[in-house]
Amino acid sequence: MPALRTIAHMCGIRTWFRHTAFLAVYLLVCCQPLFAQSPGREYQLKSVFLLHFTQFVEWPETSFKSDTSPLIIGVLGNNPFGAYLEQAVAGEKVDFHPVVVRYYKKESEASGCHILFLNAEPDKIAGILGSLHGKNILTVSDRPGFARQGGMIYLFNKDNKIKIQVNIDACKKSELVLSSKLLRLAEIFEPPKTNN
Amino acid sequence: MAALHRVAGIVLADRLTLKMQCTGTNNKLKKLLTPSLSIAFCMTMLSLTALGQAPDTLFSLHSLKKMSLEDLMDLEVTSVSRYPQKLQQVASAVQIITHEDIRNAGARTLPEALRLATNLQVAQVNSSQWAISARGFNNVLANKLLVLIDGRRVYTPLYAGVFWDVQNLVLEDIDRIEVISGPGGTIWGANAVNGVINIITKNSQDTRGLFVEGATGTTFPGQGSVRYGGRITDKLTYRAYATGFKLGGTLDTNKTVANDDWHLVQGGVRVDWQPSARNSFSFQQNLYSGRPNPDASDTSIKARGDNILACWRHTNNDKSSFLLQVYYDNTFRDFRNGFTEGLTTFDIDWQHRNQLGRHALTYGLNVRFADHDVTNLELFGFNPEHALLRRYALFVQDEISLFNNRLLLTVGTKAEHNNFTGIEYQPNLRMAWTGIRNHTIWVAGSRAVRAPSRVDRDFFIGLAPGINLISGNPLFHAERVLAYELGWRSQPTATISLAVSAFYNHYNYIRSAEPGPPPFYIPITFGNGVKGHSYGAELSVRAQVYKNWALRGGYTFFRKNLHERPGSFDLNQAGAESNDPSHQALLQSTVTVMPQLSWSVVARYVGRLKDPYIPEYLEADMRLAWQMNRVIELNVVAQNLLNKYHYEFIPEMPDKRRIERGIYGRIVCRL
Repeated sequence: MPALRTIAHMCGIRTWFRHTAFLAVYLLVCCQPLFAQSPGREYQLKSVFLLHFTQFVEWPETSFKSDTSPLIIGVLGNNPFGAYLEQAVAGEKVDFHPVVVRYYKKESEASGCHILFLNAEPDKIAGILGSLHGKNILTVSDRPGFARQGGMIYLFNKDNKIKIQVNIDACKKSELVLSSKLLRLAEIFEPPKTNN
Repeated sequence: MAALHRVAGIVLADRLTLKMQCTGTNNKLKKLLTPSLSIAFCMTMLSLTALGQAPDTLFSLHSLKKMSLEDLMDLEVTSVSRYPQKLQQVASAVQIITHEDIRNAGARTLPEALRLATNLQVAQVNSSQWAISARGFNNVLANKLLVLIDGRRVYTPLYAGVFWDVQNLVLEDIDRIEVISGPGGTIWGANAVNGVINIITKNSQDTRGLFVEGATGTTFPGQGSVRYGGRITDKLTYRAYATGFKLGGTLDTNKTVANDDWHLVQGGVRVDWQPSARNSFSFQQNLYSGRPNPDASDTSIKARGDNILACWRHTNNDKSSFLLQVYYDNTFRDFRNGFTEGLTTFDIDWQHRNQLGRHALTYGLNVRFADHDVTNLELFGFNPEHALLRRYALFVQDEISLFNNRLLLTVGTKAEHNNFTGIEYQPNLRMAWTGIRNHTIWVAGSRAVRAPSRVDRDFFIGLAPGINLISGNPLFHAERVLAYELGWRSQPTATISLAVSAFYNHYNYIRSAEPGPPPFYIPITFGNGVKGHSYGAELSVRAQVYKNWALRGGYTFFRKNLHERPGSFDLNQAGAESNDPSHQALLQSTVTVMPQLSWSVVARYVGRLKDPYIPEYLEADMRLAWQMNRVIELNVVAQNLLNKYHYEFIPEMPDKRRIERGIYGRIVCRL
């Protein structure tokens, strides 16, 4: 603080303030690439939904290296949660597995996670889901048509509230077991029957 | 009031007959001339329309994590305000203080939270008194600002201002504070000559669970709150709270701690019921009791009050909705020298909004009865002691959407009838152009009025029985302002939003202190002898600089030029009893160092005040918050770090006090 006061006295408070104001404006205008998406209420809510999914889904033993290895929630693509997902899972454990968050840019990096939130381009989703087949990863997204493309849990807005749609078929193709408590609250996605 | 105070002071100091005749008058008068001068200003029309969607107000992560999945699926994603209208399109200068801004700044009380809006002049006078105004005319007795808590107007006809020393809330339960600078416009009503502060608390469905906090520090003995929010059915929720504090004294000129401690205790309940998507009901009751002691005398002032508010919102369909609000507010203030003030207010407000093609028509009716009852001292008081102030108001407003929604034209007026001057009109015209995506340019012209209050008309200070030193003026007119404003609001990227506004206000019939007839030139009376103009600009910015670093700030420039009207001999020399800085600025930075650790700094600068002179000051507050585990959060807050002590405002009375540096710790439990 003495340093601050000395500076202020040396330059005069007005000059000091002018410099600070300039610095602030410079930061705001020029540091564009640093700017991240500011999460609103919606993603704050969705981060807590993801936390609940860790508690309502059972992974096979092969998904974890040890009894205490982390349960990883991955985010693929741009991070829409800001710091909220990390704050939501801080200190949380499921069956002694600490819950952590990882961010991925490519699906090849994501094979070690347990839940994957896909924030990718809609046309790439089908491809990504294909490459994750058989890895026992719970795939979640809010991209329209996610369940139809083979995603397991689709979060959508209805009447200004968040709802869940579950693609049971996609879940059955993996070894994941979804708790009835979750299924009870979800809308079940029925894939259109194809004539053989 | 400056001359008023000075004159009375001279009289007292000279130890005239007055003092001998009335024992203890010195103290009495001193106490009374502090913000107990009443200006019973019948304010009309509450601001019932909040401005529309604020930038998404966030949930408390803790209450979210405690909820079941079922409950989470029941929460509304976007916070819906009374009349959903994008904040972007509003043709007014608005700054929003969010719940997070308040928590991050380590604010302990409502006035400390209000510092965070740079379009307000906020100055701490002593432990319990604050001078708060918008667009100038700041004074402990500032009378040009309308303040609402959940739609209930908080003000005293004693001087048509706010007794900040009895306004309190559990800050955790505040959803946001909307600060509008500029004439409140047709909707908010009279006395919103320079601005409106709209304090909105959270719906009880967003404040579930047990909340307990306690704090103590070097400048205050303690503060604590308890709140429990629960749910009776999934549509009926409630909360009950109790909060209290004792804030320590500020420093007097000898640098010793003055005896001006401020105690306040408050409790209340709130119930919200949403039986269907079309109807919602809200009810709240608050009670408080406080002991402010601005004069640092042996006996502090006793203040108590209680209020009840009920509100019904009905949405017919997309196109039509209405709001009905009723409240009762009772306050009592005992100055402990024989003078007391009681005020009972009953207010009904109705607003109806209808969408007809490209017109959104809103109209409203308001009826307000205020029973103002004082106990006079022999030489100080109001004549008559008791008055029933009635106000009726009607407003009509049309928002016309033109050019494919790119231009929103708002035309409206309010007509209100008060006891003193009959009908006053407050028309306004506003235009908002949103032709370029993410940018809004707006202009506005309005006329606003401050109707006479009891101090202007009924007040007296006597030298001896029958001989008045100061008298109210039965012919005092309303003060008037013609305001021209324009502004630009922009959201160039998803992470920065900024707003600039500029204004030019033309004032007329502002209160002056006119000398009486010769040979003694008493009684001094109030005239409408000041006119002039003010102009300025306000800038506010909000930016999410990085994932973990958020910045917000603002700057305000203000100039005022007042002079006496022909025929006026204002003893205050057109000062309008105010003292305003030309420049002020604020920067608030919040960094989430780790998921559980957050560090926030607020730096604020206020330019010098001319008369009485106070030098410019730069101050900083800092808060460190550590979420220890799911339940407990610890805060360490340092306030006024940069100077050991500083002055913010010198009132006419009592003595000037310094605000000192302090540090405090807080524990918060959320279950």
